[in-house]
Amino acid sequence: MAEHELYHIIHQLEKPHNLQQAPQLLSKAKLGLLHIQALVPSSDTTPQHLHIATSVLEHGALLSIRLKDTEAFTRYYQQLQPFYSLPHDRWQRDKRPSNQSKVTGLYLLLLLSVGDYAGFHTVLEGLEMSSGKKQIEKDELIQYPVRLEQALMEGSYDKVWGETKGERVPSEEFAVFSEVLINTIRSEIASCSERAYPSLPISNAKNLLFLDSEGAVIQFAQARGWVAKEGRIYFPQQEAEALAAEKDVMSSSNTVIENTLGYARKLETIV
Amino acid sequence: MAEKMDIDTSNGESKEEEKTGGPVAPAEMSTEKIISTNFALINQAVDSFDPRFTLRALRSIATLRKREDFAQALGAGIRQAFPKESNNARRVLEEMLPESVRQQQNGSAETNGKKDEVEVVEIAEVWAYLGVLVQVYLLDTASHQAGATFSLNLVSKLRSFNRRTMDPLSSKAYLYLSLFHENLAPLPPSPQSPVLTLRPTLLAALRSAVIRNDSDTQAAVTVLLLRNYISTADITQADLLVAQTQFPASAANNQVCRYLYYLGRIRAIQLAYTEAHSNLEAATRKSPTTGAAVGFYQQATKMLIVVELLMGDIPERATFRLPVLEKALAPYFKLVQAVRVGDLGGFVKCVEGNEGRFRGDGTYTLILRLRQNVIKTGVRMLSLSYSRISLRDICTRLSVESEESAEYITAKAIRDGVIPDSSLDHEKGDLLTHSGRDVYGSTEPSEAFHERIGALLGMRDECVRAMRYPGNRNREAGIEAMKARERERELVGEVLEAEDEEDEEMGGGMDGL
Repeated sequence: MAEHELYHIIHQLEKPHNLQQAPQLLSKAKLGLLHIQALVPSSDTTPQHLHIATSVLEHGALLSIRLKDTEAFTRYYQQLQPFYSLPHDRWQRDKRPSNQSKVTGLYLLLLLSVGDYAGFHTVLEGLEMSSGKKQIEKDELIQYPVRLEQALMEGSYDKVWGETKGERVPSEEFAVFSEVLINTIRSEIASCSERAYPSLPISNAKNLLFLDSEGAVIQFAQARGWVAKEGRIYFPQQEAEALAAEKDVMSSSNTVIENTLGYARKLETIV
Repeated sequence: MAEKMDIDTSNGESKEEEKTGGPVAPAEMSTEKIISTNFALINQAVDSFDPRFTLRALRSIATLRKREDFAQALGAGIRQAFPKESNNARRVLEEMLPESVRQQQNGSAETNGKKDEVEVVEIAEVWAYLGVLVQVYLLDTASHQAGATFSLNLVSKLRSFNRRTMDPLSSKAYLYLSLFHENLAPLPPSPQSPVLTLRPTLLAALRSAVIRNDSDTQAAVTVLLLRNYISTADITQADLLVAQTQFPASAANNQVCRYLYYLGRIRAIQLAYTEAHSNLEAATRKSPTTGAAVGFYQQATKMLIVVELLMGDIPERATFRLPVLEKALAPYFKLVQAVRVGDLGGFVKCVEGNEGRFRGDGTYTLILRLRQNVIKTGVRMLSLSYSRISLRDICTRLSVESEESAEYITAKAIRDGVIPDSSLDHEKGDLLTHSGRDVYGSTEPSEAFHERIGALLGMRDECVRAMRYPGNRNREAGIEAMKARERERELVGEVLEAEDEEDEEMGGGMDGL
């Protein structure tokens, strides 16, 4: 029976050290799902099949995160969507798939790390509409990306740093994203610092950028084109800005001329 | 002859209006009379292929539905339009009305006497009009399930007709169809709501409307689809619909308003605030600000205010003092005050206190995003007021947890251009502001002027395009008169020529003698 095979595969997937074989197992599992016609939920799919299908797809999603395959994860997420939008009475034993919030939380985090804030907010709106605020507030796995997004938008990067470090992370899959996030905030802080500080001593820069050693700071500085002298870092961007402002006047006269000609043309039609 | 009689009836209606002064006029006419006059208007519309008469007939729906004897009048109207009781069309309509109305055979005998005053032809448009009235009746009595099934039936029949004179009626039919489905349980935004089953129907209707060049239905159905998608928060689908279809440029003003409003909402959720702002502003400008439609104006203004806050601008105080808006916008006023001052605590309190109202307006999630705006405004206020302020003080003022956060926040604010001409002094832990930036020396004023001039010129162009010249009929009469005169002239010319020839002949003859 196809179902027995599927149960067997699920059991194998749940063992932690099978990471390399996971993709093959998953393809086999998906074929099995197609046999029992449960890959896409329809009105006559039994709750048992629904459970099997969701656990296969969820395992697939979580494993692709561990394998750092973002495309596969997005695909699994899309495939899980029709299952998640089914009403409660289709799930007989009143047990909704346990990993729903985890997968959704991971997807939100993925959107954040890529910088797709529009997508992030769209998904969040959809969640609020379907589950209501109370449930989302209690759900730590979803609150984590929401908190992160808030902190990122505000600019309090130390909060982001604190969230991604160690204990505050809800589960190990979220930790995969921590690296990406830290790189993002590092470049953000760097660009902010360029505009905000005339110069910085290297030790302070180390703390600000969450780097481990002064050597790393100097490397980073060189990579971004800053000048490191006498234990301080100088940011050269301001001068380029001043030049740009001067050029502004010349180019703006062009715009002014164009605009005024436009007004004259339009005014002639209004007689 | 028939046309002349119709003109008389409509003239009679307008005279009554003049006598009793404006919109109070139809109160003088009984409900049945109104329905019969509307039949006349619809006939006229079909004869002259002019949609304005149908629109006038539809406009009376608002007064009709408030009448107590609406159901009876409707029954009488159906009997008047379809005298044969066995008529299938009549039966379909009458099924929806209560029993008492159907039995009123005797009462209508009197009105039958007046029937020959207005010739009522059994045309499809009259049936469609009565169908819309039945929909209104069902909606007012809150029989949503019956209404939903009846509307589906009505709409599929209307789609099978390919008559342009039916367009305004079919767009109304779709509107009520959508309204019925929205009230069926489970209500949206649940993912099982029946509005989802409505989507394929609406999409098919949109397709046929576009193929037939039916701009009324096209506009109405597009708007209904957007409303449908937004109610279940399927923003990506709504976005795709907007990207793939074109909104007809010749649509009626109220549909354009609605379209702009929904478009603005979609863009606001997608963080495209500038676009959202222009859409919502156009929606508020075009919408009527008095009468029954003032609710739309209030709703659009609420969205506009939130989007303006998200963009970093503070809406004008005068908006909040308009009498029609004052009560509706009260919680938003407090919100604006909190954001303006940069008061994070007040902001949080306001949001929590008015959560229910904001959710009802659909602005709650957008308002949550305002948190960072409050902080940015707070930073800006501080930088304007102090030339040098320590980070610790910033920390306390902004109710931020730690000094490091305050440092990062101010650095980001400087980078984003919220507080230009500032810098941070890391050793002493201060924020410094260098003033002396002359706004008038830069290009900012000219850019602001340019935007405003562009908007006004655009408005003027639209007005010019929307102008219509009255007196079509006069013009036709004029053309006919001209033609008549030309013919006369030709005749006269011919007669004269003939006379000349005769004269010549005669003269020739005489000469010949």
